[in-house]
Amino acid sequence: MDFDWNTEQQDFRSTVRAFLEANLPDNWEELAHGPGSKAQTLFSREFCGALADAGLLVPHWPARWGGRDADPWIAFILAEEMWAAGEPRGGQYMNVNWIGPTLMRYGSQEQQARYIPPMARGASLWCQGFSEPEAGSDLASLRTRADRHGDVYRINGQKIWTSYAGHADTCFLLARTSPGKGGISIFLLPMDTPGITVRQIPSIIGEGDIHEVFFDDVEVPETARLGEEGQAWDIVRVSLSLERVGIPRFALASRMLHRAVALLKNADRFGPDAAAQAARAHAACEVSRLYSYSIIDQRVHGQATSPEASAGRFSTVNCERLVSEFVVEHVPDALAGGDPMLLAHHQRGIVAGIASGAAEIQLNLIATELLRLPREPR
Amino acid sequence: MDFTLNSDQSAIADALDKLAAQFTTVPTEFHGFALVGEELERELEAGQYFDIAAIPELGTLAAALAVERLARLPCTAEIALSMLLRPQLDIELPRPFALVENGRPGRFLVGAGTVIVIDGENIGIAHPAPDEVAPVESLYAYPMGRLTGRPAVRPLAADEAATVRTWLRVACAAEIAGLLQAAIDATVEHLGVRKQFGRPLGTFQALRHRMAECAVLAGGVRWLALKAAWTGDAGDAALAALHAQDSATRVIYDVHQMMGAMGMTLEMSLHLWTYRMKALLSELGGRGGQARAVAAYCFP
Repeated sequence: MDFDWNTEQQDFRSTVRAFLEANLPDNWEELAHGPGSKAQTLFSREFCGALADAGLLVPHWPARWGGRDADPWIAFILAEEMWAAGEPRGGQYMNVNWIGPTLMRYGSQEQQARYIPPMARGASLWCQGFSEPEAGSDLASLRTRADRHGDVYRINGQKIWTSYAGHADTCFLLARTSPGKGGISIFLLPMDTPGITVRQIPSIIGEGDIHEVFFDDVEVPETARLGEEGQAWDIVRVSLSLERVGIPRFALASRMLHRAVALLKNADRFGPDAAAQAARAHAACEVSRLYSYSIIDQRVHGQATSPEASAGRFSTVNCERLVSEFVVEHVPDALAGGDPMLLAHHQRGIVAGIASGAAEIQLNLIATELLRLPREPR
Repeated sequence: MDFTLNSDQSAIADALDKLAAQFTTVPTEFHGFALVGEELERELEAGQYFDIAAIPELGTLAAALAVERLARLPCTAEIALSMLLRPQLDIELPRPFALVENGRPGRFLVGAGTVIVIDGENIGIAHPAPDEVAPVESLYAYPMGRLTGRPAVRPLAADEAATVRTWLRVACAAEIAGLLQAAIDATVEHLGVRKQFGRPLGTFQALRHRMAECAVLAGGVRWLALKAAWTGDAGDAALAALHAQDSATRVIYDVHQMMGAMGMTLEMSLHLWTYRMKALLSELGGRGGQARAVAAYCFP
């Protein structure tokens, strides 16, 4: 056990920082007001293309898919630096973190050939068709149906709170092919397929971030199904374990905390109360950082994802919360036109405890799998 | 960055596990507050465990792992300051170590070879004679004592004092990490077997979520303590101590709530961990003191 970065890791971080320095535009702070916004989506396509050209979009992917087989530490350093900068990759982080790797593992040759190269070039944007009006945390109760008719499926139903759907070219969709938890299948669905309607939902988290997606007799070939019928749960479990530690929210939270403290210091307003609160928020950020590192370390050593991933997720929720509360209490003007980066962070911070499995679901997992407490009766 | 124990660290961890296995039970006749592990201390001395921080292959991180591991035992001995603080001082000082802050009672003071004396902003070192200390009855699950005389105190220079503060914080955090884990383990066991309303308490979501939050806190304290032990950085140490004292404050309350009336009894032994943590909550100015230190070091 040690807590030092090796030379390769330090050099890689420097390379990423230098890339950001050279490629983020002067108006980035104004632009970075939500990864789902039109302005940021357009910028992200350009930015991810440049990242790919520099070999920095998917370094952890296998060489045959455009990567260089870099270890999970390299992928996480990349993610840390990107997130700390306000995530200029926009929604494409999902491709890099979990959609691409999921397709590599479960996709057909045709699906891999069709979808992975554009991801590796930074030229595609996906959305995640999981949640439904009656299926949030209880995802297994989803109702969107994919009925088989010969060699096609006809999809009917509704997804909601879908990030990036307004600009996405493809949807990673969960739909029911038969009753019960084992009756859910995954479809890779081009968003320009007839019968799909996307409506943006005005939200507090930023422009263009969440949507309703309606499916009315959307017809897809059997080849659009990922894996076998009814295999969704097994695949999604693997995908979400990649997603859960995939977003180093602590990196941006920590940077925003230091930014807020700097603003207070410049205004000579960093008194003892603010200092005490900032200290706790800083501790929470560093706890989240170390939990995340511990999960990456498990991956590096080829270990299965442990229940600590849920503890890490919960610690991330804590750090986002404490930093957001600090800003609201001590730099309130940031949310009223005073600072676009603090504003954007505050808008997105609320997502931490809700997306990819609510914080309370993580607590259930910790209780059962880490503490081994007896399960609740159902 | 590697969070997996290397072979040297694994070897010392295994050896400590083996040693600790002898001391996991509380004597049935014991119904006191502080269960002093005299035999544990002798074994640690004999195995030269107090010096592992000075061994290059092991260092301060292995020492912190040892402190955390041994703090999980129901019995206590002066381990943390000897393993973590003592090797940082330029001169050889006799153990056990004790800490006296602003004239308050201190842990392991009776019989201490070296006493760290904190008086406001000043830090010094004293070696009190046996008649200059006296035991104090207390609720804390450490043997507590008080300075009754006025031993000579050698003041430390500013840089030495800063080093002492840093490693006191690392020691405090590493010890609390172990105490938190033990208190949580004991409570989880209780929640798994104690039935009310026809089912184990651990099936009630209100309690499951609280315990899960406690576990997240305890894990975080451990990581921050270990990192601070590795870097020896004053900011990391302050951060670890702050999170340790913050987390302990919450977890002590929660585990006693969940253990209910059983946890009030001395035979249940929960106090052997929680009332040790209570003694550590006030060290170096308590949470306010740590927060001020974090602000000074991390937001300069």
